[in-house]
Amino acid sequence: MIEARGLSKRYGEVVAASDVSFTVSAGEVVGLLGPNGAGKTTVLRMLAGVLTPTSGDVRVAGHGTEAEAFELKRALGFLTGDTALYQRLTPREVLRYFGRLHEIPETALTARIEALVARFRLTEFADRPCGKLSAGQKQRANIARAFIHDPPALILDEPTTALDVVTGRFLLEAFREARAAGKAILLSTHVLGDAEALCDRVVLLHRGKVLDQGTVADVCARAGARTLTDAFLARVGDEVAA
Amino acid sequence: MRLAIVLHIFRKDLVETLRDRRTVVMAFVVPALIYPLLFTLLGSVATDKRGELERTRARVAAWGPVPASTLNAVEQQARADIVDRRDQPPADLEAEARKLVTERKVHVVLFTPPGASGTSIPVRVLADSTDVDSDAMERRISRALTDHAAELLRQRMTALGQDVSAARPLDIKEEDLADAARRGASFAAALLPYLLLVLVATSGFYAALDLTAGEKERGTLQTLLTAPVRSVEIVAGKYLAVLALTLAATLCNLGSIALTLSRATAAMETSARFSLGLSSAGAIFLTVIPAALLIVALLMAIGVLARSYREGQSYLMPILLLVMLSGFASFLPGAQLSAGTALVPLLNVTLLVHDILVGKAGATQVMVVWAVSLAWAVLGILLAARVFQTEQVLLSGEKPWRDVFSPSRSGRGLTPGNALAFAAVLLVLTFYGSVLVERRGGVAALILVSQLGFFLIPSLLWCRLFRAPLVDTLQLRWPTPRGWVATALLAAGGWSVGAVVWEQLLRFPGARAYSDWLGELLGKQGRLDLGTALVLVALLPAVAEEVTFRGVVLAGLRQSGSRWIAVVGSALVFGLFHVNPYHVVAAFAVGLLLGWVALESGSLLPGVLIHLVNNGAQVLLDRVPGLAERLHSPLIVVLALACTALGVFLMRGSRRPTAVAPADSVAVSLAAPR
Repeated sequence: MIEARGLSKRYGEVVAASDVSFTVSAGEVVGLLGPNGAGKTTVLRMLAGVLTPTSGDVRVAGHGTEAEAFELKRALGFLTGDTALYQRLTPREVLRYFGRLHEIPETALTARIEALVARFRLTEFADRPCGKLSAGQKQRANIARAFIHDPPALILDEPTTALDVVTGRFLLEAFREARAAGKAILLSTHVLGDAEALCDRVVLLHRGKVLDQGTVADVCARAGARTLTDAFLARVGDEVAA
Repeated sequence: MRLAIVLHIFRKDLVETLRDRRTVVMAFVVPALIYPLLFTLLGSVATDKRGELERTRARVAAWGPVPASTLNAVEQQARADIVDRRDQPPADLEAEARKLVTERKVHVVLFTPPGASGTSIPVRVLADSTDVDSDAMERRISRALTDHAAELLRQRMTALGQDVSAARPLDIKEEDLADAARRGASFAAALLPYLLLVLVATSGFYAALDLTAGEKERGTLQTLLTAPVRSVEIVAGKYLAVLALTLAATLCNLGSIALTLSRATAAMETSARFSLGLSSAGAIFLTVIPAALLIVALLMAIGVLARSYREGQSYLMPILLLVMLSGFASFLPGAQLSAGTALVPLLNVTLLVHDILVGKAGATQVMVVWAVSLAWAVLGILLAARVFQTEQVLLSGEKPWRDVFSPSRSGRGLTPGNALAFAAVLLVLTFYGSVLVERRGGVAALILVSQLGFFLIPSLLWCRLFRAPLVDTLQLRWPTPRGWVATALLAAGGWSVGAVVWEQLLRFPGARAYSDWLGELLGKQGRLDLGTALVLVALLPAVAEEVTFRGVVLAGLRQSGSRWIAVVGSALVFGLFHVNPYHVVAAFAVGLLLGWVALESGSLLPGVLIHLVNNGAQVLLDRVPGLAERLHSPLIVVLALACTALGVFLMRGSRRPTAVAPADSVAVSLAAPR
């Protein structure tokens, strides 16, 4: 469903991503893990068609970024720390705006908005300006925004960072539900506990390159570690030492 | 570009901006309050000061042997208190007088040099023109002295048994031809253009900043980029929102300024009166629209380069200064709307608004400034669109300008955007070049240089720059036999139909004068032989203008996917190049036919032939005596109409069936193409 093939991105002499390849199938959650500056955001932006790769190829639901970026974006729900909400609009207005940009018919859109408001428990603040919401409320509204067009693929960058435990758990449950519904989810997170609990496979990224990828168990075994955190530290530590 | 998506973005941005109190206050409330407050305050201060001066007695120092009768007259007529120091004139008169006035001990000093005698006693009036009180009292004292001198003269002439008029061989009276309304208009003409331009810039400033740098800073621009929306739709929606706010604020404030000036001039001492009529207000607003198009485009293009609101403020400040400088021209006494200044963006609008207010602007001037400003505005909008397509800009990357002007971004083939940019560049080039060539080489050189240097060669260079294949872009292929027959019929009938349409246009006021002027201009070709005249006026324009308008411009606009946009757009551009309103209308109609013919025949050649015959016929009609009367007979006109109708019928669908390449309507990545 989500496919990265030999993705590279250079800014002059700086290499932000180099020959990154992995796939995310329907009904699967893949974790993209790496320390700060590993190139995760660059890779996610290239997958979302926001950034053009210097070389390599992206496909989401069969659509590439080059000629079919439009269809690719229709097939993708995208949420990163940089995708904020309009402070002077309410969550309901934001959902309607993005629904219209996805050209959802008005009647279906109204029903979809109400369903998402209920699913992500936005009712209490759905008509309050986003600028006056708490961090957790904003993130719930933002995830609802990523789901507005019911995309088959989702890219989520740090969706639970800076959230309280209750909201974080609520969102992880929503992601499990989406996976069960057959959606392909690429999850980038620093919270390795979340990754271990949710991801079917992980991709370790460091300095723009893929260090390892596979199931959590395989990655741990190859690193000779018992937990994903230990495996992550072992691989990234090796790289730093090298 | 999908209009519905543009409207969604426009509506959202408008709502969001109107919910921002800072933008609303700065765009609507502050300007609406500031002018009345400023003028009321200034008016009130001026009125209070006038009253205070009228009530105050003048303090006048008299040094040297100023005649007692003179002092008495000043005391009585100017309501002055005299500080009599006639016996103690100072050594340094001017220094002492300046000291007394500065220390506000006296307003004015009267001085007569010691030893002065005879029939004409010198009296110097010393005052400080930079001191409001001293300056006003000087006028009062001088008036009293003038009256007193006149009375002395009358007494002397009477003593001599003469009438006072004997000493005044010329009775000179200065009278102002300008009535109160004209004086008011003159006052407003200096102030209003400056205020309007600054108003446009300040009204759009915060909205543009909020929707560009502000959105980047808040992270909402990237949210928008993840939606299936083209960058051109984003920039169009945002641009329209800022433009709508700017024009709404400008309209509100134009009314506010007009009312304020009306009240301010009513309170002026000079009995000037100002009132802005509906037609003048409409003309001014219409003139400001292209300026607003350009200013908003610049604000958007520069604003989006900034990574934060604060950074954006410093980026946009030069634009504000530029606008203020352009507006300042209305205060300069020598600045006039001329062929040169009409080409300078914003400055031309300042001078045109000035001329509209003083009643000097004609339809041609309005059209020229509109066309030139529109050309600049198109360039500004294209710049904004280009900046918005740069991923380094949208994602707050380093050195965004490098990517904006990177040559690798030039794609293969023409687009609607670069076709319009080409037209804008050409329009500016033609205006500037025409002025220079006409001054040095006359009309023949002008036609030769403009057709080759401004149309044909730039068109070929533009195709090369954008790597557009000449054969496909210019449709350099033979028409079908049916196309040839249709072309022959349209060429045979078209010129006559054109002449009839032109005759109808001449019924409108002002059109005849323009036609006579044009005839006189082209009449200068009379010195050339017929062959040369046909080459210059018929063959050259037929080739060069067709390559430009039905070649490059039409080819670019065809990529919009709409035949209507291609035909109407290229005809509009063709019309605008003819400047005069009547010629614009006629050229637009001809452009519609030629554009349609180019699309239907799939070839440039029919247009060249029709154009050639039309222009050639005009040359022959001017040269061959009696030909015009014979060919304008009803029978010929009916035959021409029949030929034209049959030509249109046959031309429809006459192009060769070819494998049509898919139009460039594929969704484009928001990221820059590699």
